Amino acid sequence: MKLTSYARTLHELNILKDQGYTEIILEPKSLSRFGKLSQEEFITLSNRSKELGLRVLLEWDILMTEDIFLTKINDIKGLVPFADALRVQDPGALHWSIVNTDKPLQFIAENGNHNLKALQGWIDLAEEKLERLILSIELSNTAIAEYVQKLSVPCELLGFGRILLFYTPRPLLSALVPEKVAHNQELAALGESEESPHKGFPLVENQHGTFMFHIKEFCLVEFAAELKEMGLAYFRIDQRWESPSKLSEISQLVKEFDRPAFETLKQDYSQDLMRGFYHVNKTDVLFAKLKNSRLQKREGDYVGEVLEVEKGSHLAILVKNPQGLKTTDLLKILHPKGAIFETKIYSLKNLSLEDVSSVPAGEVAMIQFVGGVWVKSQVFYQHELS
Amino acid sequence: MNKPIIMPEVLAPAGSLDKLKVAILYGANAVYVGGQKFGLRTAAENFTLDELREGMSFAHERGAKVYVVLNSFLHDKDLAELPDFVRFLEDVGADAVIVSDLGVVQSVRELSKIPIHISTQASALNVHSAHLWKKAGASRIVLGREVSVKEAGKIKREAGIEIEMFIHGSMCMAYSGHCVISNFTQGRDSNRGGCAHSCRFEYSLEGLDTLEKKKAYFMSSKDLEGLRVLPSFIEEEIDSLKIEGRMKSHLYAGTMAKVYSEALKFYAEHGHFLSDDLLKWEEELGKVSHRTYTQASLVDKAGADSIFNERENSSEGEWQMVGPVIEANPKAGIVLEVRNAFNQGDELEILPFIGDVIKVHASEIMDLSMKALTRTKPSTLVRIPYVEGVKSMQLIRQKVKA
Repeated sequence: MKLTSYARTLHELNILKDQGYTEIILEPKSLSRFGKLSQEEFITLSNRSKELGLRVLLEWDILMTEDIFLTKINDIKGLVPFADALRVQDPGALHWSIVNTDKPLQFIAENGNHNLKALQGWIDLAEEKLERLILSIELSNTAIAEYVQKLSVPCELLGFGRILLFYTPRPLLSALVPEKVAHNQELAALGESEESPHKGFPLVENQHGTFMFHIKEFCLVEFAAELKEMGLAYFRIDQRWESPSKLSEISQLVKEFDRPAFETLKQDYSQDLMRGFYHVNKTDVLFAKLKNSRLQKREGDYVGEVLEVEKGSHLAILVKNPQGLKTTDLLKILHPKGAIFETKIYSLKNLSLEDVSSVPAGEVAMIQFVGGVWVKSQVFYQHELS
Repeated sequence: MNKPIIMPEVLAPAGSLDKLKVAILYGANAVYVGGQKFGLRTAAENFTLDELREGMSFAHERGAKVYVVLNSFLHDKDLAELPDFVRFLEDVGADAVIVSDLGVVQSVRELSKIPIHISTQASALNVHSAHLWKKAGASRIVLGREVSVKEAGKIKREAGIEIEMFIHGSMCMAYSGHCVISNFTQGRDSNRGGCAHSCRFEYSLEGLDTLEKKKAYFMSSKDLEGLRVLPSFIEEEIDSLKIEGRMKSHLYAGTMAKVYSEALKFYAEHGHFLSDDLLKWEEELGKVSHRTYTQASLVDKAGADSIFNERENSSEGEWQMVGPVIEANPKAGIVLEVRNAFNQGDELEILPFIGDVIKVHASEIMDLSMKALTRTKPSTLVRIPYVEGVKSMQLIRQKVKA
């Protein structure tokens, strides 16, 4: 398993070289979400990287509407000759790169792409030009293990760094302090909400939009050996918001894990660390609680819904089943809180208060009052009373 | 010879079978619906298999289409459950599925011939992205809400693919599909239907101003409203105009379908929108509960003025739904299901499927047993005097009392 990371200065470049990196991610300001490098700076760092024997990965990870896309074409064309591979996230950037360059491509599939079929699909769409997939940090270790074994290109995973929660092209921070903001000035803030237990979300606004990060940083350093064993090809360390010295420390720990040194790092680090969903992703288990399943139960012998309960008088049922409701029907009524009532139909009227033998679908049937039944109870045909 | 005007379809949200019927009766050319799984509105009522079958029949009998959302970012275990549902959808005649995950695109292609529409959740924003999704098998793209109508027209022409755009409703502030706040802070996957709407919270921001913290709903977007942009949509030959809101009310579904379909019908007949009716349609859009409206990025890129920056419950809307008409005939009167109470003597408005609002004075109210009432209560059925032309499933509204 190799390490990969970002560099914005010659100093950082040297640190990476010293730590045994074989490649480096360079981010042009105009093409990369958090890029700082002008075209000239990119070219300088690229040339120096090559002298040091480092492979240069050009990160073009902004999302672009068509007008913006067109303004980026010259920038990317000017930099492609100085890169060994391109890293893209916008499917449009992927397609442009397939059509317009011979460089190997790396697709950032960190957003969604939580199934093998989708990931292999990107590889197939890229027509053998894809040399790497960057996987989502929402994947569990079992999914990662399966994917790195089965996918036909090597995979990369963020192993240490900020967790991006939110990305919009709209300028949200400068809107709050318009009098203090110069055009395209980068802004940073910390956000907290009384409606969330989490305090201190880092926020950044730059020329590409506004970004919010998690209060904790993602850290899989203690599982680096396990990831290596799985066959993960690249472990990415993102220290773009920290001092370069931390980059060395973390890189060292990934290469050779040392528990006391790791504990010291955790204590000294500016943010708390988390492993996210590495051991399990259960972000769908709460869904069952978002709605009352008893109100949802409408398959099978469903008749309709109770719209009105008039104590001592009647139940009004909106008949939804194409079979309608007949005087001979037996009914099972499911209360929203789970109680079940069974009844024969003793009285059946339509809304004109006429006694009828049946009520068709789409109309309201008035039957005798049944104690305990509430509005919104669901009504089903019952084949025989228990 | 003049080029014929190609009118876009009005695509309305249908969170339930009743809402599907309401939207179609009020003029929607197509609706989008969700089954019990695979969509992004887990808390919505959604459709059972029987309801999907019935909804397709109801729509197709009236010349309308039904698109089914499968736009979650599925995990492997979810994907394993997909084949039976896709085969069912093909059997019942779904007109398209709306998908954001490439794994789902591929599964649908392997299992069926149902047309695939790429969801806005995939944030397809440019010509090259459209080319790639077309290559993957898509027949239509629902563009990200960051794309202008002009850009959309270019994407359609150059990629040669159907284009759908949102014209109305709530908006994610983030690029759709690129927000995982709920996932990491509440353990609910926003891209599988568990969005907790953290972007609507008030946040205290530190660092922007050295003197004091700023409090703001800075991530909350105003609602999209594109009525006055309709000529551009038509000029750019956008195929489908989508109204957001499967979780929203019957009144919302009906009003939106009615306003946008009537506006497009006017354009088809007159070739312009130069009419007093424009003000009437805008007034109608204002009568449904909403955040402050914005055209967002439909014309120019959304800027600071597209931020709502207000508490959620301060949503505008001075009118509320009284209830749907359950039955209407001279014998039974107008029987309505009371959702919000009203009193004897109140002025009500009945929204006909086509044409101007019918104003009704609730001079007399009776319960189902014909007992006179002076006031109503929610979750009951009541009768008001019959008015010619009123039909079952029409919606009744009332101005909210001060």
